[in-house]
Amino acid sequence: MDNVLEKTGMKKSFGKSLLYTLPMFLITFMFMTGGKPNFSDPASALAVLTVFLLVNVLYFFMHYTGKTDRYRAVLFIIFALSLSYTLIHNMLEVRKSMSFSQADILECKIPFCHLVIPMMILPAVFTKSIIFPGSIIGGFANISSMVVLWLIATIVLGRGFCSWGCFYGGWDDGFSRIRKKPVIKKISELWRWMPFAVLIMVALTSALALMPTYCSWICPFKAVTEFEQVTSVESATKAGIFLSLFGGLVIALPVMTRKRTQCSFLCPMGAVNTLANKITPFTVKIDKNSCNECFKCVEVCPLYALTPADIKAGKVSLFCSKCGKCVDACPKKAINYGIRGIPAGTMKNFSRNLFLFVSFLFMAIFSAGSIISTFHGLLKLIF
Amino acid sequence: MTDSFILGLSSGSACLATCGMVLFPYLMAGSAGVKKIVIDLSLFMFTRFLIYFVMATFAWYFGQALFSNAVVRNIVPGILYIVFAILLVWYSIDKNREKDCPVKIVKTVNNQRLVPILLGIVNSFGFCPALFIILTKSATQGTLLQSYLAFLAFFIGSSLWFLPLPLAGKMKKKEVLQNIGILATGLAGIIFMIKGITNLIGGIING
Amino acid sequence: MKKVKIIAGISWAFLCLIMIIILFPGLNSFSVSVSKLPFMKLNPKYSGGEIAKQMITASCTLDIRKPVFNGFFKERNSGFVQLDWHGTIPETIKDSIDYDNDGNKDFCVLIDRKDSKTVLSPFNKKVKGVIISTPTSYGWAVRVGLDKN
Repeated sequence: MDNVLEKTGMKKSFGKSLLYTLPMFLITFMFMTGGKPNFSDPASALAVLTVFLLVNVLYFFMHYTGKTDRYRAVLFIIFALSLSYTLIHNMLEVRKSMSFSQADILECKIPFCHLVIPMMILPAVFTKSIIFPGSIIGGFANISSMVVLWLIATIVLGRGFCSWGCFYGGWDDGFSRIRKKPVIKKISELWRWMPFAVLIMVALTSALALMPTYCSWICPFKAVTEFEQVTSVESATKAGIFLSLFGGLVIALPVMTRKRTQCSFLCPMGAVNTLANKITPFTVKIDKNSCNECFKCVEVCPLYALTPADIKAGKVSLFCSKCGKCVDACPKKAINYGIRGIPAGTMKNFSRNLFLFVSFLFMAIFSAGSIISTFHGLLKLIF
Repeated sequence: MTDSFILGLSSGSACLATCGMVLFPYLMAGSAGVKKIVIDLSLFMFTRFLIYFVMATFAWYFGQALFSNAVVRNIVPGILYIVFAILLVWYSIDKNREKDCPVKIVKTVNNQRLVPILLGIVNSFGFCPALFIILTKSATQGTLLQSYLAFLAFFIGSSLWFLPLPLAGKMKKKEVLQNIGILATGLAGIIFMIKGITNLIGGIING
Repeated sequence: MKKVKIIAGISWAFLCLIMIIILFPGLNSFSVSVSKLPFMKLNPKYSGGEIAKQMITASCTLDIRKPVFNGFFKERNSGFVQLDWHGTIPETIKDSIDYDNDGNKDFCVLIDRKDSKTVLSPFNKKVKGVIISTPTSYGWAVRVGLDKN
């Protein structure tokens, strides 16, 4: 039996795994060093080398062990933590505070993130303008770059962006891994539709108010990035909402359910990316012939993307973020990465290799800047 | 305007959550054909628009009489917001909500031509916390025109949910729209609860 | 048909691979192209509006921007006008402003930079009050609330 699993599994020999890691090694080397490693600042060189090795070792192990999720999660969580560190560090250095001032808003110096995109579509169409106090081009986290990055990543990965590209997702992914067993096991499937309700509400209200309402009133990640100065009852209420949602949906519920509850039940970008799953070439497929309906995949899925009904129908729902947890957990190897058009259960290795290369490359390069700067900052603190 | 629009959205979604299964057979395109559905839907919408116009007028005149005192004007709407918002959240989590659907009355009417108009009337007057919130808001507006504008935004917001109805017959999973409606109602309830609390605290602090 | 689907799927996947590989080296040029799209400009609610006129004194310049009443469907009844002082700004700023260019001063703004105090004296009933008064990296900025009618 074990031999059968070994044959159908995704494990590779040491040499073959190295060979598969080689293209990632070369491309990440080029991106992180620009082709010319600079040793003039030892701390900076050490930070680049550490991140470069980390990324490639993780990718190597994905091939060598045949497991995806645990290695993806390491980089994904480090990305989330390092981005918050970079942002907070930057703000404390420049503004001496985590809150932004009225002057920052007036001078349009607020860093832009992808969560604003669903709210700016209607105003962009009808008023031909962007409703965000950020920089269109140039400067830190400008609007144009973020739009390009998100657009391409979403076309390529669909909701995979939520597990391979989103610099906030690592927070609840991390907290969802703290307990070994969930305290809360059953949550109604109805809640999976909540991000769509949030999306409708924030897209329409933002258009009417010409203000990104999700950022102003709801976003839990304001608690670990930046927020409005508390100067009135309204701004105090907002700060209260940010902190409660962060505490509830990003910390407490993920710990108790072992699920990514913020991503599953709140994030409007998750709803947009779910729709993008219709166009991406990469999917997760269930081989009905191998599946024994043990529902282990349903149990481990962090985004409530799999239900017993989905398994019985042999289809993964559109909510799937391709994190790979179900693929790793399946005892029959009946659930695998796939490519649209290729029947389930065939060309499994090819599909997985291609998907991993594309998704991991995106995450590695996208996250490298902030992880290097965090390592650099930490090295400077230590030495 | 934005507040009123959100209220309208929540009213429409609440209506969909409670009465979706009753409204669908009457208003969605099945065997009836899209042309008939569009006419019926237009009549339904027009009736609702007229009734909201009347409500806006009455609410504003009553508001002028009831909320003349400045303190009352600040604090009472805050309390009403919170109460109705809690009801709105309850509305979204109440599993027996379909029993509350007032539109069921229309099932007893035989004249098919009157059905969309009657649906519009019952739907506009139907018990809905969002309607009470917009009445409260309308009553506290400075001018009658502002009261009309508030109801207009409410009407537009609530109507958005009905626009996909002619296509609903073609939809594979009607319950998806209904599920999103239920959740949007709860969300709107939470938004207004927070708004009510903020208004109330602001009102108390600022006298 | 099955083969066509497989070939189409694999081709689409390889196209995506190419997109990811060229995304980062080409990010700057892609971003510049996106920034030139007609809707990629900040709404006046955030940018403060176009500069309508400048008042230049010996040490500093005052930019008076166009009043902003932008709304989603149509202009709103309430809006603001933004004033920006650049250069070497005196400790106390006192300027009378005619924001609608009708030849009459609409309000006078007095700013004590030391105490961050701003006093507005309206001469026109459309002028509502100070929304924001803050030091900025270039000097000082004030937004004054306005009614359209």
